[in-house]
Amino acid sequence: MGSQIKDVKIPPNSPTQLSLVKHADFIAAYGKKKDDYEYCITEFLRMSGVYWGLTSMFLMNKQEMMDKDDVIEFVKSCQHENGGFSASHNHDPHLLYTLSAIQILSLYGCIDLIDVEKTVEYVSKLQQADGSFVGDKWGEIDTRFSFCAFASLKLLGRLDAVDLQKAVQYILSCMNFDGGFGCRPGSESHSGQIYCCLGALAIADSLHYVNADMLGWWLCERQLPSGGLNGRPEKLPDVCYSWWVLASLRIIGKLHWIDKDKLRSYILACQDEETGGFADRPGDMVDPFHTLFGLAG
Amino acid sequence: MHGRIKVRTTAEQAEAKRKEREKKLKIYKETTSRIYEKRNNGEMDKESLSLSEQVLAANPDFSTLWNFRREIFLHMKNENPPDVMQDLCQKELFFLKNCLQVNPKSYSVWHHRQWIMEFMPQPDWKEELQLCNKFLSYDARNFHCWDYRRYTAQKAHVSPDDEFNFSTEKIKENFSNYSSWHYRSKLLPLIHPDQSGDKERVEEGALMKEFDLAQNAFFTDPYDQSAWFYHRWLLGRARPQMEILRLYARYDETLATIIVHFTQPIQAPKEDPVVSFGEQEVTGEWHNSFHNNHPSTVLDILLCGHCVFA
Ligand SMILES: [Zn+2]
Repeated sequence: MGSQIKDVKIPPNSPTQLSLVKHADFIAAYGKKKDDYEYCITEFLRMSGVYWGLTSMFLMNKQEMMDKDDVIEFVKSCQHENGGFSASHNHDPHLLYTLSAIQILSLYGCIDLIDVEKTVEYVSKLQQADGSFVGDKWGEIDTRFSFCAFASLKLLGRLDAVDLQKAVQYILSCMNFDGGFGCRPGSESHSGQIYCCLGALAIADSLHYVNADMLGWWLCERQLPSGGLNGRPEKLPDVCYSWWVLASLRIIGKLHWIDKDKLRSYILACQDEETGGFADRPGDMVDPFHTLFGLAG
Repeated sequence: MHGRIKVRTTAEQAEAKRKEREKKLKIYKETTSRIYEKRNNGEMDKESLSLSEQVLAANPDFSTLWNFRREIFLHMKNENPPDVMQDLCQKELFFLKNCLQVNPKSYSVWHHRQWIMEFMPQPDWKEELQLCNKFLSYDARNFHCWDYRRYTAQKAHVSPDDEFNFSTEKIKENFSNYSSWHYRSKLLPLIHPDQSGDKERVEEGALMKEFDLAQNAFFTDPYDQSAWFYHRWLLGRARPQMEILRLYARYDETLATIIVHFTQPIQAPKEDPVVSFGEQEVTGEWHNSFHNNHPSTVLDILLCGHCVFA
């Protein structure tokens, strides 16, 4: 019994042009829907949401459509006593949102507005004896957090604050038979996780440990006949993987192993021409997360 | 947001939907602000548990509320005997199971489940394994569940052999189970180690059986990627001996360099190399091209040119 390849068909009337003006409007409007149910229930990731929106605006050179002072005030107000940042007010600090906060301030070039030393201390204290990183004091370990820590400290110019060698060894212990990486030692390879691990290794000048041919093969097999990329074998394509997979291929120098034109038409087909924004697949609901990764791709 | 299809609605439907959302939002906002208030007042009671349960049931990624629940559990532990705590934790596991039915891919829910299992007085890890089996039967590729299963199997002292058999079973159900092929690649070197002692290598007989299984899979379904990747892994297991491939010497009056190309990456040795030029012995320094301590297949020996040609 041969299984069908899991993929989507791009509808014939799908968008083929990039509608930048619509996307900027979509992002700008999203930030103003403070009384919308969907908006409110995603408060737990607000800091990252702001980062996705702002980065999209910077990519489109429309950053003036977001109120810089408001954004910076919000970021500053989310820093806690221990140096970490939370997603929003009344939420607890976490490494994920600490990175987003640092990224936002770096985009604006005003990292000195916060207590950098305290932030460095917060991040470095999350490293464990085996080199791994927990996301917060509750102990969840994940290679995503290794990347968050490396990227945060790199942006703060303080990579010296953690044990890089041990952290690299931990990431390498998450390497798999297909050359990819998972959340923890023993976990299956996943494109998002691979991006995090490659990003971290690149920051630590340790890419020579990666089997680039093997991993490049696995990554380029993510492309489906529709042109879209999936995150793991036998899964549906999704716009956000245009970023995770493309950036990973770029890091290991194998970007030319996929069909760029086909991917471009897939990404364009995921736009919503009425509302602006990108969805994961053609015809699905749009959101800021996929809008950023569509644009970045 | 993943896999949510955009549906077209009439103005009437849209209005009804808007009203419903408005109502939901009001309740949501009231409940969350009540929780924040109680947390700020340090009210770690049953009401806090039930209020946060209401929100988490609909929004399981609201991680701060899971943190609050853990604070409450830690607090209650000081005030209640173990049997009461056991009971509370059982209830929490039941609630978590319901959350997983709705959202089986929530990082926060799986992590909280692990935390509760570690926290409760008498955890039943064997039963947890059954829960994992159940969720893998709904979705054989749920990597959260596979990860939790690996953790649970270790806690329940399940042998790697039994886990290997489980992986075989899953593959026989459906060859296209990449997660299960992945798991085999981790277990195989554990249960069939090569006599050489190399942890990455697998004993020959076991290897042959795996080739058969993989071939069976891609004869059945040549378009499935899983078995091909596994096959490639089985093939690529030879590792070159550590040897010097070539040496290259370069010098001028100030500096002499010997470039050494190895078959495998190696870290620059801490001990300084001593190079003999006829009668004369000169001490140099090992470096990779970046002058850091990262392993590399190419290392340089730097020698002072004046010393060499003195
Ligand atoms: Zn996505």
